[in-house]
Amino acid sequence: MRFNTLRFLIREGFRGMVKNGFMSAVSVLVLVCCLMITGCAYLLIENIDHGFESIYQENVVAAYAEEGTDKEGLAAIEKAIKSIDNVAEVEFHSKEEQLKDYSSDKDIGALLTDLEDDNPLPDTYMIHFKDLALFDQTVKKIEAIDGLEQVDYDSALAKMLTSARSMVFTVGIWIVALLLVVSLFIIVNTIKLTVYSRRLEIYIMRSVGATRRFIRFPFVVEGIALGIIAGGVTYGIVYGVYELVMPLVDLGKKFTPVPFVTVWWQLLVGFMGVGVLIGIIGSWISLSRYLKENME
Amino acid sequence: MIEFRNVHKIYDTGVEALKGVDIKIDDGEFVFIVGASGAGKSTFMKLITHEEVATSGEVIVSNFKLSKLRRRQIPYLRRSMGIVFQDFRLINTMTVFDNVAFAMRVVGASRREIRRRVPYILGLVGLQSKAKNFPMELSGGEQQRVGLARALVNNPSLIIADEPTGNIDPELSYEIMELLTEINRRGTTILVVTHEHDLVQSFNRRVIQIKDGLVVSDTKEPEVAMYEI
Ligand SMILES: Nc1ncnc2c1ncn2[C@@H]1O[C@H](COP(=O)(O)OP(=O)(O)OP(=O)(O)O)[C@@H](O)[C@H]1O
Ligand SMILES: [Mg+2]
Repeated sequence: MRFNTLRFLIREGFRGMVKNGFMSAVSVLVLVCCLMITGCAYLLIENIDHGFESIYQENVVAAYAEEGTDKEGLAAIEKAIKSIDNVAEVEFHSKEEQLKDYSSDKDIGALLTDLEDDNPLPDTYMIHFKDLALFDQTVKKIEAIDGLEQVDYDSALAKMLTSARSMVFTVGIWIVALLLVVSLFIIVNTIKLTVYSRRLEIYIMRSVGATRRFIRFPFVVEGIALGIIAGGVTYGIVYGVYELVMPLVDLGKKFTPVPFVTVWWQLLVGFMGVGVLIGIIGSWISLSRYLKENME
Repeated sequence: MIEFRNVHKIYDTGVEALKGVDIKIDDGEFVFIVGASGAGKSTFMKLITHEEVATSGEVIVSNFKLSKLRRRQIPYLRRSMGIVFQDFRLINTMTVFDNVAFAMRVVGASRREIRRRVPYILGLVGLQSKAKNFPMELSGGEQQRVGLARALVNNPSLIIADEPTGNIDPELSYEIMELLTEINRRGTTILVVTHEHDLVQSFNRRVIQIKDGLVVSDTKEPEVAMYEI
């Protein structure tokens, strides 16, 4: 397509958007609501996953071997832990190793040098899980292994996060799906207005032999423009609100919010992408319907 | 060339507008289509432009067999013809120049081609001086000349005009018909539906008369045709 033609078509698209200012504003608004909820759900899930990560890094479960277990015993325990399905990784920290670690710390080191021969620290397994949703079952399996004295874990947070994540996910998906349908519907109708106000132009285009693709183009441009505006507005709002609200959230040391910089491009691409996609689909549906009902 | 082979057209409402039309129109002809209201003249024209599709039979237009025409070929069929409307169908928010240029733009012409071609065509229909005017500032006859310019601008080999003078004064109708004659002289096939007997009489051309969905006369002697209406 010639540049001149392209420019003509794009200008036509913007003209349509401006001409139906009110409906365009309504579509953008609805699309913004939809994108905003999608964005919030995404940010929530992102934060929850981030919460999981901090648990993960803090070593989800520590299991201590019974006092006096010999080398073979320790290896057998490690093997038993590793054979559990949901275990991702096991780090073994022998009592000697731990003593050495502590010794490098000056104050404690002084205290511990005396204990060289009578090390009170237990042999420890740091266990990472694959799926935290199976936390309880997995812990039970670990506890059932012979030769372990004690298993330490913090399941409350893990449980809370698991259920929160799945709830946000389910509720989010449904709301987003519903709103996407609503936005699509509104965009289809906005563009239908443009189509209707331009029916003479469309008729002339068809009668002189413009291709369908060509006739569609300005309307698709209009849809894309609406989508981009909605995506941009949503991004601005979500960014502002997130930066304002997140510093106020305090769930204790275990949880720090995901900084916006780490998700900015996912959000921007997501908002723009979904916005543009809805715009394209909306204008496509709108025009296809019209073309079907009128002169081929 | 246009050819109708035993063409029937039944609308969804059950009205049978054409009841077996056989006709052949060669390149370069000038043909009047006449007949009473509701006879099927517009239906005949719409089958040529593929605005309507024949229920049975075959319509052939400039080498396109319309019963076998694919949807993506329709634009190219239309580019071979220029359509003139009774109600002009000009876009009132565009100037005369832009109305004509629009027809070129939407088939992808370059700006240079448009700048060269549009003034030439406006000159042909005698509207150079009105290029910057809006349709509402023109008389009916002038508006129809813009419509004609738009139909001509992409250089079609066929002009389809369904009552092009139906909405303008008789004196101005004559002018439009003269223009069509001039265009025909340059080699373009012309099909004109009209109710104006005087016009048909004064332009001694082939006349096809349709009555109740059938061609009842096809002659180069207008007097004979008029006798029947
Ligand atoms: N889109 C349509 N749907 C149903 N019936 C139609 C349609 N168009 C035309 N008809 C019917 O088909 C018949 C022929 O109509 P057509 O428009 O071809 O007549 P015409 O010769 O052009 O008449 P006029 O001189 O009044 O323009 C009429 O009975 C008309 O009512
Ligand atoms: Mg008619």
